[in-house]
Amino acid sequence: MMRADRISRAALPALSILLVVLVAAALGSGDMHLSPFQVWEGLLRRDPLDATIVWQIRLPRVLVGMMVGGALSASGLVMQAFFRNSLASPGLLGVGSGGAAGAVVAIALGWASSSLWFLPLAAIVGAFGATSAVLMLARRGASGERLLLAGVALNALLAAVTSYVLSEFTGPYERNAQILFWLLGGLEDRTWEHVAIALPILAAAACLWPLGRPMDLLSLGAREAQSLGVDVRRLRRVLLALATVLTALATAVAGSVGFVGLIVPHILRLAVGPDHRRLVPLTLVGGAAFVLACDIVGRAAGGLRLGIITSLVGAPFFLWFLRRLP
Amino acid sequence: MTILRLAETTVPGRLESVSLDVPRGSLVGLVGPNGSGKSTLLQVAAGILPPSECVSWEGRPLGGIPMLERGRCAAWVPQEALFEFGFSVRSVVAQGRFANGDDGRGVDEALAALDLTGLAARPVNRLSGGERARVLLARALVTGAPLQLWDEPLAALDPRHALEVVVLARGLAGRGSTVVFSLHDLRVAHRLDLVAVLHERRLRAFGPPAEILSPSLLLEVFGVRAHEAPGLNLELP
Repeated sequence: MMRADRISRAALPALSILLVVLVAAALGSGDMHLSPFQVWEGLLRRDPLDATIVWQIRLPRVLVGMMVGGALSASGLVMQAFFRNSLASPGLLGVGSGGAAGAVVAIALGWASSSLWFLPLAAIVGAFGATSAVLMLARRGASGERLLLAGVALNALLAAVTSYVLSEFTGPYERNAQILFWLLGGLEDRTWEHVAIALPILAAAACLWPLGRPMDLLSLGAREAQSLGVDVRRLRRVLLALATVLTALATAVAGSVGFVGLIVPHILRLAVGPDHRRLVPLTLVGGAAFVLACDIVGRAAGGLRLGIITSLVGAPFFLWFLRRLP
Repeated sequence: MTILRLAETTVPGRLESVSLDVPRGSLVGLVGPNGSGKSTLLQVAAGILPPSECVSWEGRPLGGIPMLERGRCAAWVPQEALFEFGFSVRSVVAQGRFANGDDGRGVDEALAALDLTGLAARPVNRLSGGERARVLLARALVTGAPLQLWDEPLAALDPRHALEVVVLARGLAGRGSTVVFSLHDLRVAHRLDLVAVLHERRLRAFGPPAEILSPSLLLEVFGVRAHEAPGLNLELP
């Protein structure tokens, strides 16, 4: 017990330090290697070439990656508390597949090439459309099982839309490649515009911060939580809205990135226990660190897509972690 | 003084036109065959199930009491609970202080009262059914709420712990709290202050057990023939 307590106390500082190291590594690595000193010079704009690389190319990518990782992990944590199931993931209610369908349709119709803003916007519209549809279809009380079933059905429908576009659409080769790239998720060529689109993630994370305690109570039963003084209906609405915003924005700027929202909260819960007041900040920082690390690995491996790496690195790590448990 | 009032409460298919005035400081048993509406009645009384407009606590309509304050006025214990996450027994009991700013007061006393001190550090998802039931009772106790609504708190408990819980409820009532709990053991019900009998979703009778639990009512409601006879009697040493 003492040991577990010490681990959970040290986890946030340790992960924060890890994140800083990963940011420095991510800013230094790429086609042109920069030493930590050069990164520093670039950040302070003392060297024009280093400054261009750091500010124009790598910093937006790093910032987007961090926000995406934090958003997906926090969203997964929220869904796990909401559904009282540690296997829940952000995509359960169709946010991810809705975003994918929106983006794929936008690319196939050629809208995506007209403006940089269009693709993310299409993804956001798809994501919110899908979640609203699930909530409306489930309606009454919008609780547990009914929501899940509506989500499963809509996920299947949206996956079919995406597959249909992929199989029937015989557009130019670049568009097909763009669709495939998008579906595999990635942080290539992210710009400050993408950072701007993802910025509300920080606001959603800030809203989530004080909800850790009520999430504790909700995760042990909705009726029980209500009898202890939690306004469960309001809390559920707020949590669903936050989880949707987080996942929708992450999907909009980085495409479909799987597995992050499932394993990061899960691993952290196994490491420090189920207290959500601890887990909310930890998943934000831990998720950011995880996605940055995956992006660095992906670039070192010659440009493997982020969505591939998160599963390729995440799954074995998760299995190893499970085996270490008592 | 009435602490809990239900007025013409109907939950479609589960409860029909139940009116009930529970006096403060009483120990009330809720009996009735399976499916007679005991759990529904307790949940409506606790403000978890609608309609809340039929319910008032200490004369205040439930709808006018803010959520957080409700957590200080009444505590509800579910019939059974499944815990997905491995919170420690102590931290689950401490959740009972949520509506009091999580001040942690009375947690050790509640753990001791339910014989959980030795299990305080254990994850709740690795407990037996009876141990889980005691954790939920301790959490309700720690709220300090003057109205305690327990749904079959004795069902999962061994004889010793069941007796202790009845003695605990008696003590709470003696200090001015009100405990309403559902149960199936009519011999225990016979020793309470008041008994409410539910039958086919309606309140069949409400009053002191010696008057209410007559052989004719027991035969009609439960289909059992009652007679007093020497048998096994259990009490705390």
